[in-house]
Amino acid sequence: MEMMFDLISPRTFWRILLFIHFTLAVALLSAVTLQSLSVSMPMRQVAGRFVARFPAVRTTSFAAAIVALYVPQVLVGMWIYTKYRIYVRIPMEQLGHWWIVGGFDGKEHAVAIGMALLPAYWYFWRQPLKSEDSGMRKGLTVLLAFIVWYAFINGHIANDFRGVGS
Amino acid sequence: MTRTSDLHEQTYLVGRAQARAALDIDAPTERSRFGTFAITFGVAFAILYTICVWKNWPLFTFHPAVNKLDFGWHPGRSGEGPAMHWYGWLVLSAVGASVLSWIATIVSAQWLYRATIFSCVLAALWPSLFALAVFTADRVSFDAEFLKSVWLAAIPASAGAAASSYLISSGWAQRLWTWWLLIVPIGALFVLAYSLRPLFLR
Repeated sequence: MEMMFDLISPRTFWRILLFIHFTLAVALLSAVTLQSLSVSMPMRQVAGRFVARFPAVRTTSFAAAIVALYVPQVLVGMWIYTKYRIYVRIPMEQLGHWWIVGGFDGKEHAVAIGMALLPAYWYFWRQPLKSEDSGMRKGLTVLLAFIVWYAFINGHIANDFRGVGS
Repeated sequence: MTRTSDLHEQTYLVGRAQARAALDIDAPTERSRFGTFAITFGVAFAILYTICVWKNWPLFTFHPAVNKLDFGWHPGRSGEGPAMHWYGWLVLSAVGASVLSWIATIVSAQWLYRATIFSCVLAALWPSLFALAVFTADRVSFDAEFLKSVWLAAIPASAGAAASSYLISSGWAQRLWTWWLLIVPIGALFVLAYSLRPLFLR
């Protein structure tokens, strides 16, 4: 870390890390949203419009990408979290922004539960897909999408309080 | 007579084949060792993590301002910034869930299904009965402080969980087993959200 800080300032380093966290979040959000919409919508014969094409997306290929994005995303988040605890949460508490504190605490719980669901999520999306597991696949995908959206929104709110561009 | 008997036999066999096919469609798939591990891990982690947060049991406490680790729970020390327990909750829950999931891969399927029902029903009943006992103790006219013991609520909760796991049929225990993977984490998220209520009501 000391060598790193000889090249760039600590402030720039943490900003780069936060930007990577944001970029991974957007990619993960896109993949999990597309997959959950795809599994939630019934198959349609006519795929004329954009929305109607969702079920035609090869949802199985998304599962590996979602796992591959979720794990590093959580690891980067866990690293940044130490700085959040010192430089963001304390001012939030001092200024009485308890809703943001509560929302962010909820994010850490949701992300932890989501991380533990990943092995099962990956298992249910493995080829060949079993038709009797389609309900479980759909449920897990929608639950993961909810967790990722919740985490994204609360992370964004915390960043707006004190982060890049705030 | 022979022809009638043959026809009857054929009808009987076709009927049995159809019945078996119908049973095969309804019968849940046998899971691989990895599948058993993954499903049990998802369920066990959600329960253990909720308990760790509720009881505040981290494996270690991290002090980010001074980069120090303490074993178990520690408050923030003066001049050393805030204490972080989340990493400790995560590691303790993950280790516990990994051990339980490994055990799940070596026990028989019927034991696994029934043990899962016992654990999940206990996880739901124990805090519910404890909350009910505290609610009752605060409202009755006589001294009922003894009801506020968390261990007292454990007795009926354990009995209820044991009865549920014993009375449920094998088929239902097997069918329900996979679905705990959605029921338990969603329930855990509700409990964890409820635990944050003081922050939102501040």
